[in-house]
Amino acid sequence: MRKKLTSLLVVLGFALQGISFFFLAAPLGLSTSEADSNPVMPFAPVVFIVGVGMVFVAAVVYELLPENSDE
Amino acid sequence: MTTQNETLPYEVGRLTRGWIAMVAVLLILMGVGGYAYYLQFTQGEIVTGLRNLGTMGGATWGLYIVFLVYFIGLSFTGISIAAMIRLLGLEKIKPIARMAETMTVIALILGAMTIMVDVGQPLRAMVNLFRYARPGSPFFGTFTLVIAGYLFASQIYLYLDGRRDAAILAKKPGRFQRFFRLWAAGYKGTPAEKKRHNQASFWMAIAIVPLLITAHSTLGFVFGLQAGRPGWFSALQAPEFVALAGVSGFGLLICIAAIIRKVLNAEEKLNQDVFEWLGNFLMFLIVAYLYFMVVEWLTATYSSGGAEASVSNALFTGEYAWMYWLTVATLLIPFGLLVYQFIFKRYRLAWIVASGFMVNIAAVVKRYLIVVPSQTHGTLLPYGIGSYSPTWVEYAVVLGIFAFGTLMFVLFIKIFPIMNIPENSEGGE
Repeated sequence: MRKKLTSLLVVLGFALQGISFFFLAAPLGLSTSEADSNPVMPFAPVVFIVGVGMVFVAAVVYELLPENSDE
Repeated sequence: MTTQNETLPYEVGRLTRGWIAMVAVLLILMGVGGYAYYLQFTQGEIVTGLRNLGTMGGATWGLYIVFLVYFIGLSFTGISIAAMIRLLGLEKIKPIARMAETMTVIALILGAMTIMVDVGQPLRAMVNLFRYARPGSPFFGTFTLVIAGYLFASQIYLYLDGRRDAAILAKKPGRFQRFFRLWAAGYKGTPAEKKRHNQASFWMAIAIVPLLITAHSTLGFVFGLQAGRPGWFSALQAPEFVALAGVSGFGLLICIAAIIRKVLNAEEKLNQDVFEWLGNFLMFLIVAYLYFMVVEWLTATYSSGGAEASVSNALFTGEYAWMYWLTVATLLIPFGLLVYQFIFKRYRLAWIVASGFMVNIAAVVKRYLIVVPSQTHGTLLPYGIGSYSPTWVEYAVVLGIFAFGTLMFVLFIKIFPIMNIPENSEGGE
């Protein structure tokens, strides 16, 4: 359970970073219009930061969560 | 304080007269800084020396941005030391790990504060940054990824690293017992827990090093990617920022470690070996930075023209020359002292500490030279030469921020051991 939750947080964290960077934030490259300057989804940078945070929270989960008898 | 607290290591919970006086002075400085910021917030940035570029002949980035770069630079040390201990097995420098990690966390908080005081409307800036920032922009990397991601990661590292000591202290009755118990979060010191901590901190160290390099590089890119600003537009900015971050961070850590060694009578734990290692490492970082400075100087003076020449002339022979050569001197003297000790193996603590102090003067002045001259002398538009002089408001705000950071550090020392507790103190584990 502990290892699964840790892995899930790491994967989800990196996934959120990737999704927000490539799909939710303002398009990469040179802006040709005002619309290009705005993110596809407002507060997309927060999603990226949450992703970074989740990866590191995984370490806390890994250390703090009690071990199962089978681990 | 209770008698029970007196048994806590490294004077945790023990308030001396000197400590109380220091806190009082820091609170006064914070008050002065707070008042200065109040003036700035209510009357606008007109009370500062900041003015528009070109049309007002000034600089929009001044002392606050200088110290933003300085504080973010200081944060380099904590995580790099923690990562080196974990990844390279450098047990020798383990006693300075926690103070370095604490320094990182505090420096990042101070960095965030300098950004906030630099913008006229901090709350609006905070909301819009998280709402509109482009992840591809160096501003995002610096102001969002660094402050939010790097700070968060550093706090987690500090927290997990302190669990063992918190568990040891939680066994001792006293007013902080509940706090230690909360920090320990059930840590018992079993072999399985130790193994798990080693694994977690190993992977965290691996994950945090790229974040560290990204953080300091993006700060360099904030300047280095500005094609319309002679003096800033350079591929060297990112690596140069990483190197100078290391120089100032390790320099300040040497000074802090020396003060703690003196105040806590920790000569045995913070022994000569620790300072020798720090001094040698600082020496190599200075070499790297001096190399960048030479390359920068050659590039700027060999065949540059127009605004690029205007900036380099102001730096090397003009208005800012005294600052530039002060930077060179405060890098070369420590370098000479450290090289001498390294070659002849005659280490002196005072020389190492003096070197750490001098490189910090160099770091602050060099950051001033990075931030300001390109704005006053580097315009590509047909404006005249500008000028920038910080007002007392800016000095007071920066002093207040410094005082706040120092206060956080001295408070932390009194509530948690600033060095790891030796293995034989684990008692019943």
